[in-house]
Amino acid sequence: MNDDKPPILGTWRRLYAAVLINLAVLVALFYAFTRAFE
Amino acid sequence: MRPIDWTVLAGTLAAIVLYGIWKGRKQKRLAQYLLADREMQWYTVALSVMATQASAITFLSTPGQAYTDGMRFVQFYLGLPVAMVILSITAVPIFHRLRVFTAYEYLETRFGVTMRTLTAVLFLIQRGLGTAITLAAPAIIVSLVLGWNIQHTTIVIGVLVIVYTASGGTKAVSWTQMHQLLIALGGMAIAMIIAIRSLPESVGFVDAVRVAGRLGRINVIDFSFDVTTPYNFWSGLFGGLMVALAYFGTDQSQVQRYLTGETITQSRLGLLFNGFVKVPMQFFILFAGAMVFVFYQFVAPPLSFNPVQRANITSSRYASEYQNLEQTHLRTFEEKRAAATGLVDAMNVKDVATVERRTIELRGLQKRDDETRSAASALIRKNDPSAEPADTDYVFLTFVMQNLPAGLVGLLLAAVFCAAMSATASGLNSLASTSVIDVWKRLLWPNRTDHQYVVISRWMTIFWGVFCIAFALYATQLGSLIVAVNRIGSFFYGTMLAIFLVAFYAKHVGEKAMIAGALIAEAAVLLCWRFTDMAWLWWNVVGCVVGVIAALVAQMLLSPLPAARGEG
Repeated sequence: MNDDKPPILGTWRRLYAAVLINLAVLVALFYAFTRAFE
Repeated sequence: MRPIDWTVLAGTLAAIVLYGIWKGRKQKRLAQYLLADREMQWYTVALSVMATQASAITFLSTPGQAYTDGMRFVQFYLGLPVAMVILSITAVPIFHRLRVFTAYEYLETRFGVTMRTLTAVLFLIQRGLGTAITLAAPAIIVSLVLGWNIQHTTIVIGVLVIVYTASGGTKAVSWTQMHQLLIALGGMAIAMIIAIRSLPESVGFVDAVRVAGRLGRINVIDFSFDVTTPYNFWSGLFGGLMVALAYFGTDQSQVQRYLTGETITQSRLGLLFNGFVKVPMQFFILFAGAMVFVFYQFVAPPLSFNPVQRANITSSRYASEYQNLEQTHLRTFEEKRAAATGLVDAMNVKDVATVERRTIELRGLQKRDDETRSAASALIRKNDPSAEPADTDYVFLTFVMQNLPAGLVGLLLAAVFCAAMSATASGLNSLASTSVIDVWKRLLWPNRTDHQYVVISRWMTIFWGVFCIAFALYATQLGSLIVAVNRIGSFFYGTMLAIFLVAFYAKHVGEKAMIAGALIAEAAVLLCWRFTDMAWLWWNVVGCVVGVIAALVAQMLLSPLPAARGEG
């Protein structure tokens, strides 16, 4: 068992940030989708 | 069902079961049987985690939810990616470094054996009932729509799962789940494409989305804050975060999935992948439901999608009243179809005034149709007070059975069965693990050989499988009580999360204070359920916050402070 670096983005901190940014982008896209078609 | 459908269904299920048995052969040691020797790579962990959460109800009920209520249910999952990050930072390294088999094992190192046993027993009750419902609910829906015997369907699904889960353990469960999830998602994609392709020639994909939006089905994000509405951005982010933290951090059916990761890195990557794709996946399933809704703007849907309730009411003394409602429903449908066609035509020529007029007309007709459907539900309830009048769960399967070509019906049913089997398999696997590690090995039968514990693990898998089949057979007669049983988790998740949060972060809090905190948190959740209109997602927030605060206060009142135990 070890605690290596993640295979992408270099550090875990950056990978966690990517997950949260992905969520924020999805919310923004969903909101735009809602407004565009409501 | 045509022969080709039976062939596809039976072939897919047989292949999955045989693959599970083959993948899980030669399981000799306990770590092999319960944790797949901790050698899984991130993609297996990720798909196994996702398949555990996505039961058949996800694929049957969620599209129906979009049909009746729009896509706002996706907001329930907004807290999940945040939970995946928090658990990757906290729970994953702690569980891995302690080399635990179950989440509850950790609580003994932190609090004591009482807290470990209490949470393990709570889990066994909650997950035992939950897994039975996971088995019963799709069996009911599939059997009613296809005219099959509910008991036979339940037993067949249950026995298939027991066969490969008991023989192959966690390895068989994880590997089969990968394929089961891919089959289920592939089936959904096919159904959505067929819904869109079955629309009239003049109605394109964008037109379909516009019609869904104009009728309130593209209500994906709602930023308004209201604790009494079940799904909005805030309840999804905060309530959903608590549910996801509790489910993925304290429920052994999920913890066991990422404990199989070869390293901390593999387990973390599995959870974070889930954080990336879960929300889009749910969006996609709900979108398929919205497209089915648009399809039924142009093809007449039944007044009630539940075939048994429809048959019961048409042979009762309320038959003529129901037929009147059906005629109203069909007249409204004809007007709706004309209005929807007019709306699409007006949108295509960018006639803004007509678009607005047609939208208002269509919304009025939809409201009238909703009222007719409500009246039909009331009539069904009047005829049989124990009947479940809601037909949301039957929408998607009805669409599949009536509109998909031969062969694809079998594939879609295989997808539903795969989803039911994957969630049930995780349930049985985790129930066996907790029974053996936290009860048999710790309390009843310590200091035995690894081989003896593998044997008892297999028998516990069979025991829980038989229990779940038996309770599922009973549950098929409960009707609407299934919904109540299905919510048992929400009563305990907040408290369970509070226990683990205190264990991780408030190391001065001892066992007595935590037990007091847990009892107070449960009382608070029960008060919210009994005396307020608070939506159930918020119960998890209340249980967690009250549990943590009550444990901290109880520890302050207890003196002297006990020393923290073990690693935290």
